[in-house]
Amino acid sequence: MTGTTTQSGTSAVAGAVQVASGPLDRAQTRASVHANAQGRGTVILSVPGIRCGGCVATIERALRQREDVVAARVNLTLRQANITLLDPDSDPMPIIEALAKLGYAATPAEIGTADDKADPVGKNLLRSLAIAGFGAMNIMLFSVGVWSGADGQTRETFHLVSALIAVPVVAYAGQPFYRSAFGALRLGRLNMDVPIALAVTLALVLSLFETMRGGEHVFFDAAVTLLFFLLVGRYLDHLMRERARSAVTGLARLSPKGAMIRQNDGSLAYAALASVSPGAILSIAENERVPVDVRIVSGGTDIDRSLVTGEAMPMAAGPGDTLEAGTLNLTGVIEAEALRAADESFLARMIEMQSAAESGRGRYVRIADRAARLYAPVVHLLALTTFIGWVLATGGDWQTSAFVAISVLIITCPCALALAVPVAHVVAAGRLMREGVLMKDGSALERLSEIDRAVFDKTGTLTTGMPAVVSVPDDAAIRSGARALAARSVHPAARAIAARLTDLPGLVTDETEVPGFGVEAMVDGRRARLGRADWVGEIADISQNAASPAFAFAGGTAVSFDLSETLRQGAGQAVAALTAAGIPVSMLSGDMESRARRVAGELGIGDVRHGATPADKIETLETLRRDGHLTLMVGDGLNDAAALAAAHVSMAPSSASDAGRTAADFVFLRDNLESVSATWQVARDTARIVRQNFGLAIAYNCIAIPLAVAGLVTPLVAALAMSGSSILVIANALRLNRTGKSHPTHRAAPITVQEVSA
Amino acid sequence: MSILTFLIPVTLCMGAIGLAAFFWSLRHGQYEDLSGDAERILHDDDAPLVPAHTPRPPVATKETTK
Amino acid sequence: MMSNLTGAERTTAMTIAGFGALIGLAMAAAGHGDPMGVHGWIVLAFFGVLFFIVASALYSPEPVEDRALSYYDDPTKVGIILALIWAVVGMFMGVWVASQLAWPDLRFEGAWSGFGRLRPVHTSGVIFGFGGNALIATSYHIMQRTSRARMPGQISPWFVLLGFNLFCILAASGYVMGVTQSKEYAEAEWYADIWLVVVWVVYFILYMRTLSRRNEPHIYVANWYYLSFILVVAILHIVNNLAVPASWTGAKSYSLFSGVQDAMTQWWYGHNAVAFFLTTGFLGMLYYFLPKRAGRPIYSYRLSILSFWGIVFFYIWVGSHHLHYTALPHWVQTLGMTFSVMLLVPSWASAGNALMTLNGAWGKVRDDATLRFMMMAAVFYGLSTFEGSFMAIRPVNGLSHYTDWTVGHVHAGAMGWVALITFGSIYALTPVLWRRETMYSWKAVEWHFWLALSGTVIYVFSMWNSGIIQGLMWRTYTETGTLKFSFVDSLVAMHPYYIARAFGGLLFLTGACICLWNVVMTILHVPQKAPELDYPTSSEAMEPALPAAE
Ligand code: HEM
Ligand code: HEM
Repeated sequence: MTGTTTQSGTSAVAGAVQVASGPLDRAQTRASVHANAQGRGTVILSVPGIRCGGCVATIERALRQREDVVAARVNLTLRQANITLLDPDSDPMPIIEALAKLGYAATPAEIGTADDKADPVGKNLLRSLAIAGFGAMNIMLFSVGVWSGADGQTRETFHLVSALIAVPVVAYAGQPFYRSAFGALRLGRLNMDVPIALAVTLALVLSLFETMRGGEHVFFDAAVTLLFFLLVGRYLDHLMRERARSAVTGLARLSPKGAMIRQNDGSLAYAALASVSPGAILSIAENERVPVDVRIVSGGTDIDRSLVTGEAMPMAAGPGDTLEAGTLNLTGVIEAEALRAADESFLARMIEMQSAAESGRGRYVRIADRAARLYAPVVHLLALTTFIGWVLATGGDWQTSAFVAISVLIITCPCALALAVPVAHVVAAGRLMREGVLMKDGSALERLSEIDRAVFDKTGTLTTGMPAVVSVPDDAAIRSGARALAARSVHPAARAIAARLTDLPGLVTDETEVPGFGVEAMVDGRRARLGRADWVGEIADISQNAASPAFAFAGGTAVSFDLSETLRQGAGQAVAALTAAGIPVSMLSGDMESRARRVAGELGIGDVRHGATPADKIETLETLRRDGHLTLMVGDGLNDAAALAAAHVSMAPSSASDAGRTAADFVFLRDNLESVSATWQVARDTARIVRQNFGLAIAYNCIAIPLAVAGLVTPLVAALAMSGSSILVIANALRLNRTGKSHPTHRAAPITVQEVSA
Repeated sequence: MSILTFLIPVTLCMGAIGLAAFFWSLRHGQYEDLSGDAERILHDDDAPLVPAHTPRPPVATKETTK
Repeated sequence: MMSNLTGAERTTAMTIAGFGALIGLAMAAAGHGDPMGVHGWIVLAFFGVLFFIVASALYSPEPVEDRALSYYDDPTKVGIILALIWAVVGMFMGVWVASQLAWPDLRFEGAWSGFGRLRPVHTSGVIFGFGGNALIATSYHIMQRTSRARMPGQISPWFVLLGFNLFCILAASGYVMGVTQSKEYAEAEWYADIWLVVVWVVYFILYMRTLSRRNEPHIYVANWYYLSFILVVAILHIVNNLAVPASWTGAKSYSLFSGVQDAMTQWWYGHNAVAFFLTTGFLGMLYYFLPKRAGRPIYSYRLSILSFWGIVFFYIWVGSHHLHYTALPHWVQTLGMTFSVMLLVPSWASAGNALMTLNGAWGKVRDDATLRFMMMAAVFYGLSTFEGSFMAIRPVNGLSHYTDWTVGHVHAGAMGWVALITFGSIYALTPVLWRRETMYSWKAVEWHFWLALSGTVIYVFSMWNSGIIQGLMWRTYTETGTLKFSFVDSLVAMHPYYIARAFGGLLFLTGACICLWNVVMTILHVPQKAPELDYPTSSEAMEPALPAAE
């Protein structure tokens, strides 16, 4: 979407916002202001154009100089401006305009963002990590003292001090593991945290016991360093997901949050979405999304339904037509009657379908937990056997036997195993992030590496959703005239024409845009029209079934522009790469058969399903699942959201609908579809590294367990072995970064406004 | 080494103070925009950030800063 | 400067000065015939002069403009000048004691001018006089700028700065009279120590109050480094100086601890003094002035925070590496050794972070001697911490301890790191503080850089050489199992290196003198830069930004 052309015909405000960010709703903007505790208004603007400290300073200074702004603070990491307004009722639109004048596109950030930013889980983990780190440091210190010869009274004192530190540290920092272990046990399952929690607890209890009877060996250091390492893994994992999540919300393009309602006295008033009741008359301006399902009462316009239905071409709409919530009003102001309340609208039904579809995926068990199901019983049996064996061998010395058995548990505690997966995933996520792919969580990578089938949506996914002009008329005057008119409209067809023609545009006066039909104006003194063929035919000669759009000077001959969809960059390569790797690719489109077939033909996709409704899409994926296929779904629209959720794993471009982006496991920020095959490649590399890591962990256990069973493990050995194996696993995972270099990488395209608003 | 019975608690206390300070910083949003905060000092002595005497209506709860 | 104080503040200042003068008088009377009496007169003179300065301006015009709209820079300015004066004095003493080691006659037969008395004048002069004043002055600057708030009071910054200098004067003058607690870097006697505690507590409160007034929600990492410096030095100082005065009317006191206990306390203090006086404070300087001067943010801000916590937690435990092969239990030594080696990680993280910040701005480093000071400082920081970790390994220390290698390590850190980063910061700060366009002479900065660098290199290399030769000579045995060299043999072998060190020191001292001259000329002769640049954000305007940070 090139925003540089000025659009007369749209109001000055909308024009500025157009430059800024594409569709943006007056009502939504107003709704984004909240009252804070001091009785001021606060609004959070997402400003993707913030790049550096210079931008921060410029924006803050400009904002603080305004009379209506009390305070402004820019967050460079999130690329947001947090603004305090004088009055909770102020309109932030002038601020957005002012930012646009400075060259920064701004949109109100999603309402949830302010609270989400606090990220309580992350803070909790970080706090646990700090406590565990502090404890580990200090206990290590005493341990080094003991290992290097402190004995007698000193050693006992050190053990006591270590105990005093270790008990509260474990009680606090161990909570994430205990909670997760209990949760699993209550459901009658085993996960990785069960053996962890058990080992830590037993190590602590044993050490306390040893401390009390003045024993030589305690495992406080092992217990606490173990927690520390595990928390590192867990925190990194969380950080990765959190960053992806906030990046996705950073992309936020709003689904409508409210509507402008025509009052009885004829004035317009803003109302939150929930309070829009059927029968209300709404005013929907150009470039706004339709907030609820409506029927047009007056006014005509063009409607972009691509995100909703997958139809590529905008559709003209006038009085009597019904529009689904979520479609985009392109060209004219309309008044429309609400047909249903917001929670019954098309959009709401889609979201319902999506959550229903998602529950199907809940059955997936992550690889680490699968490993744990095997691992935990084996280890626990082993410890038990060791105990019994030692009791028998020593003739009933149960204290020594318990000591040895517990040291078996400690040394086999799956430190490396628990790190094996998350570390690899974190490194992979970092690599994907650099390549412009955001990943929701680690399990997505596991699932992606398993796929045996890929399904692509067409409009907005394989194609850009933007039409392009195929051939150019020969007549220079026509080209110049058409370009001049095309530049006056935001209709996608007009844009395509304006973008393709390079001639100097003619001088335009008296232009009017007739929503649903096209643009009319005097070009270099001659009347001319660009728009629907029959409408253009009113003033010029035109053949019977000429295609739209057409252009003509009054009294001249009309010329039609042949439009086709543009393939997304890299679409061919992505499809070819997957097919070559033995993964069949099919297309699942809501669009007309002819358009679907044409695109499929160009890309060499044999299996095409067209005209699919959202329910059809889910059905297709469910069928694939029942047949035992693990399917990757790539799609962008609202109509794909449920299918994205139903698939084994899914990807969406950053230009996707809100629902689509939320449903997808991966969001790619580049226009290039090669991201899909590249991500798949990373997923496979990661799966390999994870397998290797498991191998390493098992090898470590093969060495460690016999030592432990033989009773040769001292705390020193345990500490060294555990740290050693953890570091080994981490180092191996870091190799993922290196493999990344060998693939052709593209410079990470910044998240630009253009991408946000396809 | 009886001196250690003195030095170790003192040192542990210092560590605990550090930990408390870290928690404070965590609670007070000190780590929310690290890249922005690293940049900010580069711009801290440019022209006055706020026109010095913009008249502003009083804010209800002035004490919150303290 | 007085014009920035209101009448009430002038009265308060006068009261404090008068009170101080009274204490001085009491000390002079009680300590008559003891060095403490002399110190009494010094205190009296110090506060007397202050009293008259304030009194003479008591009724001059008061400030009319709103002081909250500007930063309070007067104490910073004085602090910078004082730091440079102490640099010249302290380094002159360094050159003098270095020359005494090469030419012992230079003591001129005086008791006061012996190596044993002048050496602490050098160490205290450079560490506390030069380093301490520079730290206080830059901390005033940085805490105000990064908080975008003015310091809370007009009096307490002066109290801290001048009070600290009084401590330095008492310390240095005491050494010359033979007053010492015999604890390295903590030689000053009990009354000076008590005074320093008072000053330091006020300093801490001042810092915390400034931070609590801040208009910028985020506390920049440099502040954490400075705060740890202030807080830990306070605790260390108090613990290590726990002593019982022999009498209330004399300078002599006895440490609360004895023997190896006292040694452990001293080096627990000693190394933490290195850590929190000579390292964290200056890292704060580095983290502010290096990005500022380079015009680019620190390479990894996250890493700078992480290495802060790493340094703080590791450093606290390493003091016992100063006591390898002593009566200290073996395991305590091992402990110190282990943590010293691990300390390398956060130390190199800091040095690397600084250098990576410059990566991509090498052009600037080439053209700007000020930035080059900072870059070399980071290099020497990396070097001396590596060396330190190495020397902390017990067998290595067996070779290095008691030799000049330690002195070489000390000065790689002290001259290469501490002094270079300070000079760099002063050159970056001076034009900003006095609102001048540039330094008076950039050529002089260039000269200073090369003098300082070559001085440091000559110093450090000669000490490495002499240290290793010493170590080896002392350990060489004949076939019969007796020592091959006498101590005097090794001393003769040192002579050329001591001359070289004195020469290197002379170069370094020359550089410091040039710096003082350049700063003074900048203040006197470089035109003002208009318009004036920086202001604190008014707190009313920024206020609602705070709730967002909660
Ligand atoms: C002009 C340059 C300097 C010269 C010529 C110089 C000279 C000396 C000499 C001769 C000693 C005594 C060494 C011994 O006992 O064998 C010494 C010790 C010391 N100097 Fe310097 N110094 C200079 C600069 C500095 C600076 C800038 C600092 C600190 C910021 C510093 C800190 C120290 C310390 C801490 C010691 C005690 C070392 C120890 O006990 O091992 N010096 N210096
Ligand atoms: C990782 C960092 C460092 C470690 C592990 C370390 C270690 C050591 C060791 C082992 C010694 C010799 C102790 C002896 O044999 O008596 C020493 C002495 C010394 N170091 Fe460091 N050092 C480090 C960094 C620094 C830095 C950055 C400075 C900065 C000025 C510094 C200043 C000193 C001083 C002044 C002494 C002499 C103490 C005395 O008077 O004997 N050190 N250090």
